[in-house]
Amino acid sequence: MKARVAMLCVLSAAVIVASPWAGGLPDGELGHWVLVELRIPRVLMAVVVGGVLSLVGACFQTIFANPLAAPSTVGTTAGATLGALMALVLGPALGLGGYAAGVSLPLTALAAFAGALVVSLPIAAVAASGRARVNDVLLAGVAVSLAAGALATGLQYTADQAALQTAVLWSLGHLPQVGYRDLLMLLPFAVPVCAFLLLQTRALNALLGGEQRAFSQGVDVPRVRALTLGMGALGVAACVAVCGPIAFVGLVVPHIVRLALGPNRRVMLPMSLVTGAGFLAACDLGGRLILPGRELPVGVITAALGAPTLVWLIVRGSRA
Amino acid sequence: MTALNLTAVTVTARGRALLDGVSLSLAPGEFLALIGPNGAGKTTLIRAALGMVKPASGKVHLAGDDPRALSGRERAARAAWLPQTGAVIEAVSALELVEAARFRFNESRATSREAAQAALARVRAGALAARPVTQLSGGEQQRVALAAMIAQQAPLLMLDEPANHLDPAQQIATYRLIGELWREGRAVLCVTHDLNLLRHAGDCARMRVAGLADGRVAFDTTMAAAALPDRVAELFGVRVSARDGVILAEDISGVGP
Repeated sequence: MKARVAMLCVLSAAVIVASPWAGGLPDGELGHWVLVELRIPRVLMAVVVGGVLSLVGACFQTIFANPLAAPSTVGTTAGATLGALMALVLGPALGLGGYAAGVSLPLTALAAFAGALVVSLPIAAVAASGRARVNDVLLAGVAVSLAAGALATGLQYTADQAALQTAVLWSLGHLPQVGYRDLLMLLPFAVPVCAFLLLQTRALNALLGGEQRAFSQGVDVPRVRALTLGMGALGVAACVAVCGPIAFVGLVVPHIVRLALGPNRRVMLPMSLVTGAGFLAACDLGGRLILPGRELPVGVITAALGAPTLVWLIVRGSRA
Repeated sequence: MTALNLTAVTVTARGRALLDGVSLSLAPGEFLALIGPNGAGKTTLIRAALGMVKPASGKVHLAGDDPRALSGRERAARAAWLPQTGAVIEAVSALELVEAARFRFNESRATSREAAQAALARVRAGALAARPVTQLSGGEQQRVALAAMIAQQAPLLMLDEPANHLDPAQQIATYRLIGELWREGRAVLCVTHDLNLLRHAGDCARMRVAGLADGRVAFDTTMAAAALPDRVAELFGVRVSARDGVILAEDISGVGP
């Protein structure tokens, strides 16, 4: 067990540390600039976003009492995407400054947070009603994701050329290309969200024994559920506002961690954070190296890995 | 002070009274068997006792205080609950599940672990510690669940059909264990359909039996009462027979939904 924890940590760290140099660098001054201004901030961004999304996914599995619950399957990501797109597309039109204008990450994050909550809360209510079967929650998530997707497409249709290009690139899910600005704006969201979620470990462990039992053991279940959902939505929204919807990270990583280390949240939550950081850094590296000279957005890679994983999990689950 | 006291408690849901003026009290260290047909309000009574539902009228006192005014941890220090449906969906180990029941204590992980190991040993389930709960038999799962209640260290145990879906040997073992925990000084509120099984908890003469029907207390008597078989027959609407002066009401076992 300890050996496996150490192995995952080392693996993650190795990917993170090595990836800025992977694929080679131009010589001289340019190489230094590429390394410091492009590669390193981008890897750091992958670390933060991958860590947050995975930790939120691990927590969502617990509060939804559903191993397939993740920000991307219960609609949080879709809601955040819709909210952020509204800010991106409508922001400039309303004179609030769009993302392209480079001033409005907080605005975009706020809109994404609002969207994430509007979509997540009804789904959480379905899950909390206690009458929902395991897959009802996911179906509700799919339904709202489709609705949010349709609205988002409609929104893009009405956008002008410049906003459209920003929106399309952004909605593929990509890590920003240059500099540390976005990273510095993301950290004030990411750090408190992760700290809060990690502090819920004992309550989430008690929830594994069933909601009612956890309640009698002293867990304020509605409060833990609402706060975890809210903070999780905030973390996802901040990531989405910067990078667009990077799907499936929050689903795949907690499963890898559970398979390797077991379901005890005391191990699973921090290790999801660590493994998620390495996982997204690896995916981004893959996107950079697969097609030489052309970069695939990281969201394409995670979706390519995540969608089959989801199908596999559903098939496996329905057999169990 | 009573471990649990309900005074004229009425709980309604969608215009229907789940509990209708229920008054019932349980002293520290007392054993109360709560029997009644399905839908009589037995589980609702436990939920009201824990403050999970707000009574439309009446008062609930859990060790002297309104449970709804207590913090989660304060409430957990007064009563533990083994719900009927407490399915564990993930393959946590027995030890981890019992450790989680220490939520109310602000303590180190090592302390939690020691207490959990002691609780598992107490129910003779020490050997199950590392096994995933999802792979245990029903009887083993109930033993682990009782260990979790021990680890929680509450003076009142509320059990909802603890022997449901168990085979006869496991049913008997579960009730024996419940009897042991009772004689160690805990108060027990045990919801059941089956009075016969209660005998395996032992010391029937000191047990109280209350019948609940349509949200009302139909009777509140002792296991030894001569009138008990008749009251039980009335409660379930079946014919019963008593033997050897014991409460044995053969015809009611198996009367379910």
